[in-house]
Amino acid sequence: MISNRLVLSGEVTEVAELRYTPAGIPLLAFTLKHASQQNEAGMNRQVECEVPAVAMAKMAEQAKGLKLGCHARVAGFLAKRSLNSRQLVLHINELEIIEKG
Amino acid sequence: MGSILRVALDVPLATLFDYLDGVSTVQPGQRVLVPFGRRRVIGIVITRAATSEFPITKLKPIAYAYEDEAPLPQATLKLLAFCADYYQYPFGQALLAALPSRLREAQPASLPRRMGYALTSAATEAGMDAIPSRAVLQRKIYQALKESGPLGAENLVAIASGWRAAMRQMQDKGWVSEVEIEKPAMLAVEPKAAPALNPDQQLAVDSILAAGPGFRVWLLHGITGSGKTEVYMQLLQAMLADPAAQALVLVPEINLTPQLEARFRARFPNHPIVMLHSQMNESERLHGWLRAQNGEARIVIGTRLSGFTPMARPAVIIVDEEHDSSYKQQDAMRYSARDVAIMRAKMADVPIVLGSATPSLETWHNAQAGRYKLLTLTARAVESAALPRVRCIDTRIQRPQDGISAPLIAAMRQRLERGEQSLLFINRRGYSPVLLCSACAWVAPCTRCSSRLVVHLRERKLRCHHCGHEQRPPLQCPSCGNPDLHPTGHGTQRLEEVLAGIFPEARILRVDRDSMRRKHAIKDMTAQVHANEVDILVGTQMLAKGHDFPNLTLVGVVDTDSALFSPDFRAAERLFAQLLQVAGRAGRADKPGEVLIQTNFPDHVLFHALQKQDYPEFAVSLLEERKLAHFPPYCFEALLRAEATHFGPVQDFLERAVRVARTIEGKVTVYDPVRPQMERLKGMERAQLLIQADSRQVLQQFLQAWVAELRALPQGGKVRWSVDVDPLEF
Repeated sequence: MISNRLVLSGEVTEVAELRYTPAGIPLLAFTLKHASQQNEAGMNRQVECEVPAVAMAKMAEQAKGLKLGCHARVAGFLAKRSLNSRQLVLHINELEIIEKG
Repeated sequence: MGSILRVALDVPLATLFDYLDGVSTVQPGQRVLVPFGRRRVIGIVITRAATSEFPITKLKPIAYAYEDEAPLPQATLKLLAFCADYYQYPFGQALLAALPSRLREAQPASLPRRMGYALTSAATEAGMDAIPSRAVLQRKIYQALKESGPLGAENLVAIASGWRAAMRQMQDKGWVSEVEIEKPAMLAVEPKAAPALNPDQQLAVDSILAAGPGFRVWLLHGITGSGKTEVYMQLLQAMLADPAAQALVLVPEINLTPQLEARFRARFPNHPIVMLHSQMNESERLHGWLRAQNGEARIVIGTRLSGFTPMARPAVIIVDEEHDSSYKQQDAMRYSARDVAIMRAKMADVPIVLGSATPSLETWHNAQAGRYKLLTLTARAVESAALPRVRCIDTRIQRPQDGISAPLIAAMRQRLERGEQSLLFINRRGYSPVLLCSACAWVAPCTRCSSRLVVHLRERKLRCHHCGHEQRPPLQCPSCGNPDLHPTGHGTQRLEEVLAGIFPEARILRVDRDSMRRKHAIKDMTAQVHANEVDILVGTQMLAKGHDFPNLTLVGVVDTDSALFSPDFRAAERLFAQLLQVAGRAGRADKPGEVLIQTNFPDHVLFHALQKQDYPEFAVSLLEERKLAHFPPYCFEALLRAEATHFGPVQDFLERAVRVARTIEGKVTVYDPVRPQMERLKGMERAQLLIQADSRQVLQQFLQAWVAELRALPQGGKVRWSVDVDPLEF
């Protein structure tokens, strides 16, 4: 089975201006800073990461509520930023604002 | 007088058609309605004959003869016959296409009756005192009618805009009556005074006048802003002193005509001027044509299509911006209106003046060889106006952000602070030339052409600038499904948006074919710029020519590098002309102008010549190149183009054409068929075949024989083909 699903929560650290694709689909890019305790090799450890994310259409409408410093849980799939890029971007299809910043 | 008419028809056959006519007195040059197949079509009588090569019983009688209309002059028929011959195009089609479309309809064509008003005898007897002194307007009208005789609307409106109401009252009292008038009376309107000429201009006018009325080709080479139009006008002033003489003035583009028209009307208020261009409605065009033909119009100003307008007594022909590519017709009969005008001047034995700041190399070559007389204007007409300083911005060092580099932004800011105007030139309309999927590199293509669709963001459309195809931007990439598609590259719309971001306080006006679509848009734009209601102009080549904006002191050229490396050997010539033209918009009055060109190749010879604004030097180097490569003007060319929905028949036809060509005697070079840069256009697969010869005559002789054989080829029936003599684009 082919899988590509990432669930992540964290703090919103960057929000770009809402823009539109040429066909008129709203699109919002933001960054989620994640920090948590995880279990690895049978031991607890700290993890931190910053993940660029993008929300389109209905998701972008919802994401408009995201302010700097607020906490959100998102789920979606990963794709590279562009053809020749190795950077990953999380394209979200679920969004839940946990705590307003 | 024979009873057989030889008639030219709008049919793709290089022949005249014989019809019977025993009753009418129709003459050569007049129109007839004739049966053709199941239709009835308009034709032009070329001759009357006693015999036909067909049995008389097979000939059909004409349906109607327009005997009352003035026949086309022999000179017009001769000129079109020459063109049909030279450009390898059926005479009937050439002739009928030259006519205003009203003359191709089965309707009598005539000038409308001109109605005007005259004083009745009752009014003259009663005298002006019979009009109460508070009826000022009525008194004014009475006075004018008494002094000038009957007057029409165009005269009366000059007296008072509210003349109609006053006239109605006078009519009710029986003081005036409606009468037909022959032509508008010449009221004593003072022509706008002609400015004094500078020595160069004076020499040009004097030389042409001193040479007398016979045929001679003059090349008026004047730097931008040197006052070529003033030379034309003073020339016309002298030549139109003969009350029957007429002048033909050809201008390249419709968007320049309103300004030129205004200048000519102010200078020649008492010479009827006729404008002829494609934006006029059909009856206006017909009336202009008829007034030129009957000699009533003294000055005919028009674009390419007006070059064939019949004139009673042409005395001089002027071709402004003679190098302009819009003089070349790119479909039907592919003629050069400039070259046709030269032939027309030769046939009529009158002088012709070709004007340009950057003459075409063909013309320059002719002037250097002494076939044309060269006149040079080296100074700007406004004495204090200096030529603009031209500099390149090396975009390898000064990387543009969003298309505009920092030095250009700084220069524009300076202009804004000083209250002067800037112009950014970019020869690409729309928002961006490419719609790209960054996930898979898919680019939105035109399905009918080998071209890319241009993004027009505001209208939310993708458009093909070649075939006019239009569609909504796709919701997602058709190749990989990504919805986030990117407009890539810069067009006028995007530049306008970028500038609005950089200079939020500036008043920005975009000038391109999309924004200037409305009928008077260009007139309005010009007025706005003159009234200083605009700080920054962003525009295409529409802005490059002819405009005279005294407060414009900076021209920025955003991106021209693609044109430096075009496979077309004329690309450098065109780019130089275009950049010199657009540079010439800067600093035309008393403020010095500056031109900044963004390029990755600041050391290119073209920019060096441009910085010195030395056309002759550049022409010498280009001509040297052409000579080495054996390109025009050092050889003469014809191009056979063919197209069809599938490539197979195109290939068959052109291969056949090559074989036929190689059997014909004559020192011509026949190249192999190749595909043009635009392989598909409007759904048609295209290919072409080039012929070169050392002399025009050799080429013409070859074409006569070759095209006759091509017309007989069965493979020709499966493709659309055409011959382009002296082609400009490949």
